[in-house]
Amino acid sequence: MTLPQALQNREFRSTRSGALSERLIVISLALCATATVLITVGIIYMLITQSAGFFRSDAVTMSGFLTDTEWTALQSKDLAQAKFGIMPLLSGTFRVTLIAMIIALPLGLITAIYLSEFASAKIRSWLKPILEIIAGVPTVVLGYFAILVISPSLQLFSDGAFSTFNATSAGIAVGILCLPMVCSLSEDAMRAVPRSLREGAYGLGCTPFETSVKVVVPAALSGIISAFLLAFSRAIGETMVVALAAGTLPTLTLDPTQQAQTMTGFIVEMIKSESEYGTVQYYSLYAVAVTLFTITFLMTLVGQIIRRRFKESYQ
Amino acid sequence: MSSMPDAIVKQDAKYLADNARRRKQFSLWFYFLCVAIALISVVILVVLMISIWSQGQSRLSSDLLTRSHSELEIERSGMWPAILGSLFVCGTCALVALPLGVGTAVFLEEFQPTNKLLRWIHGFVQLNISNLAGVPSIVYGLLGLTVFVYMFNVFGQIRVNESAGMEIMGYKHFYQVLTLEPGHVVFVPQSDPTKRQTTFDEPFQAVDPDGNSIEISIWTPGTPKPSDPAIRRQTVRAGAIGGTITERSWYYFRLPFDKSFLSGGLTLALVILPIIIISSQESLRGVPSSLREASMGLGATTWQTVRDVCLPAALPGIMTGAILAMGRAIGEAAPILVVMGAAVAKSTGPKHLMDDAVTMPVLIFNWAGRQQDEFKELSAAAIIVLLVVLLLLNSTAIYIRHHVQKAQS
Repeated sequence: MTLPQALQNREFRSTRSGALSERLIVISLALCATATVLITVGIIYMLITQSAGFFRSDAVTMSGFLTDTEWTALQSKDLAQAKFGIMPLLSGTFRVTLIAMIIALPLGLITAIYLSEFASAKIRSWLKPILEIIAGVPTVVLGYFAILVISPSLQLFSDGAFSTFNATSAGIAVGILCLPMVCSLSEDAMRAVPRSLREGAYGLGCTPFETSVKVVVPAALSGIISAFLLAFSRAIGETMVVALAAGTLPTLTLDPTQQAQTMTGFIVEMIKSESEYGTVQYYSLYAVAVTLFTITFLMTLVGQIIRRRFKESYQ
Repeated sequence: MSSMPDAIVKQDAKYLADNARRRKQFSLWFYFLCVAIALISVVILVVLMISIWSQGQSRLSSDLLTRSHSELEIERSGMWPAILGSLFVCGTCALVALPLGVGTAVFLEEFQPTNKLLRWIHGFVQLNISNLAGVPSIVYGLLGLTVFVYMFNVFGQIRVNESAGMEIMGYKHFYQVLTLEPGHVVFVPQSDPTKRQTTFDEPFQAVDPDGNSIEISIWTPGTPKPSDPAIRRQTVRAGAIGGTITERSWYYFRLPFDKSFLSGGLTLALVILPIIIISSQESLRGVPSSLREASMGLGATTWQTVRDVCLPAALPGIMTGAILAMGRAIGEAAPILVVMGAAVAKSTGPKHLMDDAVTMPVLIFNWAGRQQDEFKELSAAAIIVLLVVLLLLNSTAIYIRHHVQKAQS
């Protein structure tokens, strides 16, 4: 009786050592996963301990931080005269983000409708890569584009009403940045809507416009809204564009033609000024970062809740 | 009967025809609107490319690629140290983020837990990763600054022009002593290269810049100074401390990391980690479960299945995701700016692990923010170089995706 070759040459190893190495591997993979949790813990720990250094100072109060209308951490080196009110920075961030959303949301959504409902396979095959290229353009390049092209053309069309650095050109550049993201996420959501729904709509005599706007978009609404929220938090956290194009003056206004300093813009200015470690001005970095982190974190969380709770499932 | 829908009550042929025509017309307009808006993105890309090309093409020369930033010779400034710096920073970032990211993805996708607690942990890690993906990169920059650069100040504060903290390996200290005559320098070879400082109390041997050995004698303060300038040139005050010249090997390592390219690379790794995890998870999810079942059916353990079946099948997808993430890392400026500072005056690439570096986006940011037109043009030229690098990366990713799709179908 001869065994097959494979069985004759087979070395039968003990399974016990195999089980041990298996367990070791699972543990090391679990450690990798733990690293991501550690990063979150690290971010939160850092923000709390370092911004405590800011709020512990006599020059700063919590209510002043939230309600004061001036932010002069960089302008006045003298601590007694420095004012730390987050409002101007929030207002700058809000202006830039609002303009970006006015650009990115409608354009992104309509492009997504076009891609998922109207475009032929051929058009898709070259429009998608173009969107991917825009998504891959480094943000510092878009910031440069804002100074080079958007600002001068805004000044040209408005007879110089816009200052060289202004919230609008930064907002437009951030909008361009968010557009591919809104587009591809909404398109994914709309493509997930089953064909039968569209066929039902067409069967009832709907036009393509009615099918896409009254049937497909509402069906994909949860995905679209979470795409919007993601774009929103991306725009709030966007740094290089605003650092280059929005200006460096914290202003509390709604005028989009004026300079604006955003929260991220302030962080970059502060780093560039190489301020001394350990001063109140330095710790104000972390107070701004806490605000920024809280806003974007809430946005992401709300987006996830919306996606989970309002997800419509079709069989 | 009055509650019947409009469409049925108003069975007027003319009304219906008009209504249908109006709706069709509207739909057609909407279609044109869609086409026009979809074309906007094309227009944006074309305007972007053309404006940057026309601004920067005059500066695309060998100087740009081989020389370093220079304030004095703006017309011959270049970006070679920045290219090297980007390479080093992104290399570090890939070395850290890839194993960590793929490991996490494998753990989350392939080792599905059976008991309730573990399932909860899985869900928590998953939620955590999607939250991390939404954290602005500048917050990661501050994390890197606090953790890698200052290490929460555990090792004492960073002082200017002096490396602080714990030096661990790969360094050798030499000393440089300035004699009483200004401009006359001698070097003292150091017998114990691990000591940072020595004070000179006894006569010792030194080397002058030409390599001649000279005897240095000691003058104690309080006693009369030697009057002969020749002797004075070989005399040092008792208790003098020399400035340190340190020779560092490439593996020079110290804590905290300070503003080094290692800090920058580690920070970037944090930024792209969620991206790598999510894309690896997606490509692992794309591996058909029949393959796993076949492997398990042959008696393979879970890890053997993952190693020999799932990972090879998912590899193209993982690689595509990794390359796209690296593209993101190369273009990322904000966290690098926060961790390594905005200074660009550096003439070489990093020499050792703790050396600082300039990266391409930081250089572009610095140049773009200046008043002089020459620097604006330089920054456009540097952008062209950066975009070419990104294009190469992206086309590699597209090639892999395309190639594999063909092979699998």
